[in-house]
Amino acid sequence: MRAQLRSELLKQRSTRTNLGLFAGLLGLVTLAVLLHGVGLPTSDLAGTDNQLMVFGRGEYLGALFAALVGAMSITAEIRHGTIRPTFLVTPHRGRVVAAKVGASILMGAGFGLAASTLAVGVGAAVLPAQGIDVQLDGGDYALLIAGGTAASALWAAIGVGIGAVVRDQVPTLLGISAWLLFVEGLFGENLVDVSRLAPGTLGVAISGQEPDTHLAPALSLLLLALYATAAAAAGWVATTRRDVV
Amino acid sequence: MRSLTKRFGEVVAVQDLTFSLEASTVTGFLGPNGAGKTTTLRLLLGLAAPTAGAALVFGRRYCELEDPAGRVGAVLESNDFHPGRSGRDHLRALALAAEIPQARVEEVLALVELGPAANRRVKTYSLGMRQRLGLAAALLGDPELLVLDEPANGLDPAGVHWLRTFLRRFADRDGTVLVSSHVLAEVAQTVDQVVIIDRGRLVATARLDELAGRGETLEDTYLELTAGGPDESPAPL
Ligand SMILES: Nc1ncnc2c1ncn2[C@@H]1O[C@H](COP(=O)(O)OP(=O)(O)OP(=O)(O)O)[C@@H](O)[C@H]1O
Ligand SMILES: [Mg+2]
Repeated sequence: MRAQLRSELLKQRSTRTNLGLFAGLLGLVTLAVLLHGVGLPTSDLAGTDNQLMVFGRGEYLGALFAALVGAMSITAEIRHGTIRPTFLVTPHRGRVVAAKVGASILMGAGFGLAASTLAVGVGAAVLPAQGIDVQLDGGDYALLIAGGTAASALWAAIGVGIGAVVRDQVPTLLGISAWLLFVEGLFGENLVDVSRLAPGTLGVAISGQEPDTHLAPALSLLLLALYATAAAAAGWVATTRRDVV
Repeated sequence: MRSLTKRFGEVVAVQDLTFSLEASTVTGFLGPNGAGKTTTLRLLLGLAAPTAGAALVFGRRYCELEDPAGRVGAVLESNDFHPGRSGRDHLRALALAAEIPQARVEEVLALVELGPAANRRVKTYSLGMRQRLGLAAALLGDPELLVLDEPANGLDPAGVHWLRTFLRRFADRDGTVLVSSHVLAEVAQTVDQVVIIDRGRLVATARLDELAGRGETLEDTYLELTAGGPDESPAPL
């Protein structure tokens, strides 16, 4: 198992894909926080909830990119055929899936930590420059960063599971992006009760955003971990049962 | 292989196939396009599950081998690489998973003469270089059995010659080789015996020296056995 984990970590590091995604993530987080900080009316930004939302862009984008990294750890292997040598060397496919989940959780945590910290940093610089008083305390910052890290790590595991079930790279990546950027937003506007339990919203809740609407961070963490476990298990079953094409 | 059968929906790719390999020989696995060669090899290597029967290596199913990379090396497709990863990193990742020392990566790179290109990304490799990188991956664990699916596809004459010499030497050092092909000329000079299949069924196994003894050529035998048949499919090649 450790051998497979080390192999998966090398695979994740040895192409430029993840580096490119990481750079893209940092750029997007900076842009999103800047645009919100400069674009939203000063009166809106004075409230804690909106400040948490702006600072929480790190969690939001970190989770999305972590999910893409996790999904690609398996869909890229299927797309390029490296899954064949991978399974020849490790015919116990469950070990390969477990190693991919492990490696992706580590990568996802790194993405989430970097994105959340960057968002908090940029926000803490931009808002005061606009003459806005930042209302957040140390506990809020800690939750934004720790929650963003945890949510991204779990979303990376969800990505592996979805990638293993769907297998085709493009539909997988499009599906994950559409879900997180668009579909859950529709729930949020129309079915608030359901949306609380949706996995993207749980990630947002873990980092302490909109505490009045969302579930508590600890409960959200538990529920998102259940999603991650279910997704990884589905990926495990799909990978061990089906033929490799 | 014991009564090996694989169906894909209506298509029967391999039907009741039984044959075995002799140690320290090169076996050519022949048959026209679509005969079921690749499917048989995938079943043997545990990448697909048989509908019926069993494919065993060293008496076990592939996934039950203690040290699969140390016993079997295989190449099924000539381009199973991430284009953005270097040849060396491709091999290093496999070596890590198989717990093979990294020094062995350098050894196999030298063996297939890829050393100078090893740090380049695979997308810059020629087809011949990719074939050799695949072979290097198969050799990582210093296996006893090599399983190669159409390894000479797309190689130039020098490349085919290199491959033949390589397989011959591998078998002479007590290695066993199973190499599939639909190009007879590629195989005739290298193999000790042939297993011929057509439409998923075994049609013949023969030792080349026996064929020669009876004054037959491999080509005669092959064409005779794969051309006719009850539903008169067009002759291959
Ligand atoms: N995944 C699959 N789904 C459906 N049919 C398949 C699948 N894989 C193979 N087949 C079918 O099984 C038969 C045998 O295919 P296979 O690839 O094993 O032949 P082959 O002998 O390797 O041919 P070639 O010389 O062209 O490589 C073909 O009719 C093919 O269409
Ligand atoms: Mg084939």
